[in-house]
Amino acid sequence: MTNHTPSLEVRNLTRRFGDTTAVDDVTFTVEPGQMTGFVGANGAGKTTTMRMIMGVLTVHGGEVLWGGRPITARERTRFGYMPEERGLYPKQPILDQLTYLGQLRGMTRKDAASEGTRMLERFGLGDRLKDKLESLSLGNQQRVQITASLLHRPAALVLDEPFSGLDPVAVDSMVDLLRDRLREGVPVLFSSHQLDLVDRLCDSLVVLAGGKVMAAGKSTELRTRGPRQFAVTTVPDAGWLRAMPGTQVVDVDGARAVLEFDDDAAQDRVLREAVSRGLSEFTPLVPSLSDIYREVTR
Amino acid sequence: MSTATSTRPPQLDDAATPDLPAVKNPWLVVTVREIMVKLTDRNFLLSTGLTVVLIVAGIGLSAFLGSRTADHTVVVTSSEGREIAAGATEAITADDSGDTLTITEVADEAAARQQVLDGEVDVALVATDEGWSLVGRESVDGTLSGALSASVTSTVLDANAQAAGTTVDTLTAGSEVTTELLEGSDERNALKSAAAFTFAFLFYMAAIIFGMAIANSVLEEKQNRVVEILATAIPIRQLLYGKVVGNSLLAFAQIGLFALVALIGLNITGAASDFGWLLGASGWFIAFFVVGFTALAAVWAVLGSLASRSEDLQSNTGPITTVIMVALFVGIFADGVWLTAASYVPVVSSVAMPVRLLHGDVPIWEPIVSLLVVIVTAYALLRLGERVYQRAVMQGGTALKWRQALKLEV
Repeated sequence: MTNHTPSLEVRNLTRRFGDTTAVDDVTFTVEPGQMTGFVGANGAGKTTTMRMIMGVLTVHGGEVLWGGRPITARERTRFGYMPEERGLYPKQPILDQLTYLGQLRGMTRKDAASEGTRMLERFGLGDRLKDKLESLSLGNQQRVQITASLLHRPAALVLDEPFSGLDPVAVDSMVDLLRDRLREGVPVLFSSHQLDLVDRLCDSLVVLAGGKVMAAGKSTELRTRGPRQFAVTTVPDAGWLRAMPGTQVVDVDGARAVLEFDDDAAQDRVLREAVSRGLSEFTPLVPSLSDIYREVTR
Repeated sequence: MSTATSTRPPQLDDAATPDLPAVKNPWLVVTVREIMVKLTDRNFLLSTGLTVVLIVAGIGLSAFLGSRTADHTVVVTSSEGREIAAGATEAITADDSGDTLTITEVADEAAARQQVLDGEVDVALVATDEGWSLVGRESVDGTLSGALSASVTSTVLDANAQAAGTTVDTLTAGSEVTTELLEGSDERNALKSAAAFTFAFLFYMAAIIFGMAIANSVLEEKQNRVVEILATAIPIRQLLYGKVVGNSLLAFAQIGLFALVALIGLNITGAASDFGWLLGASGWFIAFFVVGFTALAAVWAVLGSLASRSEDLQSNTGPITTVIMVALFVGIFADGVWLTAASYVPVVSSVAMPVRLLHGDVPIWEPIVSLLVVIVTAYALLRLGERVYQRAVMQGGTALKWRQALKLEV
C-alpha cells in the first residue's frame, strides 16, 4: 500500500435543475479507509451529489477534490461506482459484461475475466458465469452489480443505495467485501435509507436535507454532540424528578424518566436521591443514528 | 463456523495493480464488444444464414431453369410433312439448349388428330387446302410452333420459287431487317437493371437492419442505465464511435459475404462468363455504401439515445426510414436528369451514383465529387450526432426531440 492514500472531498458543490436547487453548497470529506454513510430523505440530493462526484452530471458550483486537488477524468476511471438505478446488460452473460467493463477501465481481457470469475465464485455464482443477467434472481443481479464496481480494484467507491434489495446474508458478504477495500485505505461513500444499517457500518456520516448538509462528521462525535441524556427508573414513581433543581425532565412514563442535567452536581444530587427512593436504573443514553437523523432534519 | 479462507471476501491482491493504464482506444473495446455480441446472437446468425441459403437457392434455381430441356414431339401424315418437320428440327436444336424434336408419321389426319387428343404428341402438322395447319390440344408451345411455321414458310417458298424459275434468295434479296443496339445488348441491359436493383436493395436492407441494431444497442444501454457506468470509465463520445464503427463493419462484412456467395455461385453455374463490366460500378458502390452507411449510423445512434423505450424508436425513426426508401426507389426507377440530381444528394447518392455508373459513361470527377459530398455530410452528422447523443443518452424518463436534447446540459 502507498503511504499516502488520498481522501475524497466535496467542496461547496451546487447543482440546480431549472429554478430548484437540488444540491446547495454541499461540503464534506470522505476520509481514506473510512466508510461514510450518506443519509437523507428522498429528493434530499444524495444521488445528484454522487452523480456530480462521478462526473456524469455537470457541476454548477463548487468542486470535487481527490487528494486535495481537483479530480481529473483519468482519476475518476479508477473509482468504483454503483448508480442508483442498476445498470448492466440484461441479455448478456454475466462474466462477459464484467470483462467488458474491466477492459474499459484499462484491465487486459485476461485479467478482467479471471478477476471476474474469482469474484463471482466468491459470491457463489461460479456455475452461472455464462448465464444471462436477466435469468438471475434480483439478489444475485445485485451481487453482479457490486462485482462490477469492485472488479478493477477501485481507488474510491461511490455506491448509491448498495444494500437495497439485499437479504441480511448478502448484506454481510457485501460488507465483508467493502471492509477489505477499506483496509487498503479506500474511501467509501454510500447512501442508504436503512438507518440501522448505516448505524452499524459507518465510521462517518453525512446527513442531507433539502440539498443542504445538516450534519457531517465521525459517528462518535455526532452521537455525543447533543446534550447527554440519562434514563432513570425509580419504583414506584418517577414524578418526583420534576422537582429536582438543575434537572430537565425530557419525558416521564410511570417509573421511568429521561433527563438532562445542567451540570455534574445536579447529576450527583439526582443519583443520591434516587438511590434512597429505590433506584433500579440509571443509564446514560447514546443516541442512535435515527435519533441524530431525526434531530438534525427536524 | 467455516474456515477463515472461506469467509474471506473476494481478494484482489494479485490482480491488476491499483494504477491501471489508461485505455488507449476505448472505442476499439466498444467496437469489439458490439461485433462479438452480434456474432453470438442467434437471430443475427440465423437471418444471415437464411439469406445465404436464399442467394444460393436463387442462383441454383435460375441455373436449373436455364438448362432445362424441352422434348417436343410432332406427328405428320406425309413425307412432305416429315420434310418440313425435319427443317424445324434444325431451328429447335440449333441454340445449344438441348431441346429435341421427335417426328412420327401416321396414315391420315384423323389418326394424327387422335394422337394429339390422346396427348401422345404435342402437335400434328397436317396439310389443308390453303396450306398447312398446326393442331394442338389446348396450346402449342411457342418455340415449337415458331420453328414449324418458319419451316413451312421456307419450304413452300422454296417450292414456289423453283416453280417460278427463280430462288428464294433472289426473291428476298435486300429485304432483311436487322436490329442494332447502340448501347450494349438486350441481355446486358437486363443485367444492368438487375444489378441496379441489387445495389438499391442491398443498401436498403443493410441501412435498415444495421441501423435499427445501432439504435437498439444505444437504447439498451440508456434504458438499463449501463451508460451511467460506462460514462465514468470512458468519454461518452468514444462509446458512440465504437458503436458506429462496430455495426458498420458488421454491415460491410455481411454484404461482403452475400456478394462472395453470389459470385462463387455464378461462377460455379457458369453464369459469370462476362462480369468484368460490373466490377467498376461495384467498386464505387462499396465506397459509397461505406460512407453513406456511416453517415446514417450516426443518425441511428442519436435516435436510439433520444428514445426512452423501444416504442419511441418506431415513431422517431420515420424520417430516416423515408430517406432510405427514397434511395431504394431512386435506384430502381429514377432516370435521366432526376438520376443525375439524385447522385449528388448524400445517402441517396449511395445508390444513385453507382446506378449511373452502371448505365453509362460518367466522367471520373463526378463520383469523386459526390463521394466527397457524402464524406463531408457523414463527418457533419457524426459531430452533430455526438453533441445530441452525449446529452440525450444520460437523460432518462421521456422521449426527446433533437432540439430539446441540444438544449440540455452535458
